Amino acid sequence: MRVAVIGAGVMGLSTAYFLAKSGVEVKVFEQKYLTYGASGRNSGGITAMLDREELIPFAMRSLEMYENLPSELEFNFLFRMDGYIKVADRDEDVERLEKSLNLQRKLGVDAEIIEPQEIRDLIPDFNSSAVTFAVFSKNSGVVFPWPVVWGLAKGCRELGVEIKTHTKVHDITIGEGIRGVKAGDEFFEADVIVNSAGAWSNEMSRIAGIELGNKIMKEEICVTESIKPYLDPYLLDVSHGLYISQTSRGEIVGGITGREVEKIETKSSMDFLVKYARRVTQLIPKLKGLSILRQWSGVYDEGKDGLPVVGFSKDESFVQANGLGHWGMTIGLSLGKELAKLIIKGENPKLKPFSPERF
Amino acid sequence: MGKSRKIVCRCEDLTEEEIIHAIDEGYNDLESLKRYTGATTGACQGKGCLMHLIRILSQKTKRSPEEIGVTTQRPPVNPVPLLILSEGDTE
Ligand SMILES: Cc1cc2nc3c(=O)[nH]c(=O)nc-3n(C[C@H](O)[C@H](O)[C@H](O)COP(=O)(O)OP(=O)(O)OC[C@H]3O[C@@H](n4cnc5c(N)ncnc54)[C@H](O)[C@@H]3O)c2cc1C
Repeated sequence: MRVAVIGAGVMGLSTAYFLAKSGVEVKVFEQKYLTYGASGRNSGGITAMLDREELIPFAMRSLEMYENLPSELEFNFLFRMDGYIKVADRDEDVERLEKSLNLQRKLGVDAEIIEPQEIRDLIPDFNSSAVTFAVFSKNSGVVFPWPVVWGLAKGCRELGVEIKTHTKVHDITIGEGIRGVKAGDEFFEADVIVNSAGAWSNEMSRIAGIELGNKIMKEEICVTESIKPYLDPYLLDVSHGLYISQTSRGEIVGGITGREVEKIETKSSMDFLVKYARRVTQLIPKLKGLSILRQWSGVYDEGKDGLPVVGFSKDESFVQANGLGHWGMTIGLSLGKELAKLIIKGENPKLKPFSPERF
Repeated sequence: MGKSRKIVCRCEDLTEEEIIHAIDEGYNDLESLKRYTGATTGACQGKGCLMHLIRILSQKTKRSPEEIGVTTQRPPVNPVPLLILSEGDTE
């Protein structure tokens, strides 16, 4: 079997890696450089404290993979398991966090309610009066997204996968007869085509002649200058959609969770910086003196019902592997592994909730 | 002093040898090279080192600086403290 994978983000590369590990011949096409997509622009928060029942088992499996894959690939992901805190200050958010916590615990996630004052044991200068409720999971952490992409790419190449960067797919042929993708002037024949083009997946699906209709989300993010290790856990304020963490290089990375946009664009806004600065200095007033060095934004896609779209489309030679949403860096690794099984065996009950045919 | 001691990026303390090593590892386009080595991402945001990076990449890969291009400039132009930003206006 020959497989063509469109998009070298975490989803495409994880799928390619596990396919190749089972002996499948794989080629990966990436329109720009590695890390160009959302997988190179995110904040690397990895946790199983998610709201959707369907995603939690995948997050739990990915957490294990984040611990084990680096030694398998001989590539350090700079993954730190220093915990994840979610806070809220609006009643409806508190209710949602409580409900999700019950679900998470039922599924075996190690997560608990903590008092806002207890956050000060984890983040010394936290202003606990800025929030009313908090949950914490020790078994979560932060990864540096670039080494994840590079490490998976290295693993792929060592198994003989060709990763064609700066090679944009612009035509797809499926159905009876000769199938494959066209990139540049060349046609690459393949039995199965995997659409893991992130925010560009709608477009790829359209040129294959298959309806997709994922939402496009844009998310802005920034980093400060580096300071000494200070912020161990990842912090998400669900009422304000704001999150912060510290990279292994010492920069404080922070953003505001994404919003749906009409079309793909990655402009950075002053509006974001101001909103971010206001809230982050309420939560940790001591950060006031720190300077923002750089800001950027990323785009990702999300299934219409908020769940990923992963599995055979109505034409079995065209496989959807997209719609990962805000938690894609977390669930992508294990989704890719399970998708490889689906492609090889023709079925995988674990992926049923994400079937493209559910709509 | 030998070639290996030439500092390319002061903020991230990178030598020319380290940059060449990364290019040899396959990080041979400017965007990948900058991310893999950290060059241009420190306090000066590339003002001091971007040109060196392009020169080395051009010499190693035999591509012209035009073919190599420049990296995307990310705002802000100079670092801005959070305190000042937090007093700004939103839409
Ligand atoms: C600011 C931000 C913060 C985030 N924070 C987190 C977080 O803390 N935790 C978490 O779990 N997730 C987070 N996410 C979400 C996560 O980054 C994404 O869900 C995930 O990276 C999606 O991976 P992907 O492989 O599906 O898509 P991508 O990484 O976008 O990969 C798709 C690739 O396809 C390529 N492509 C597109 N069209 C073509 C074509 N025609 N031919 C060839 N190649 C093509 C693109 O260039 C791209 O590289 C965040 C996202 C953003 C933007």
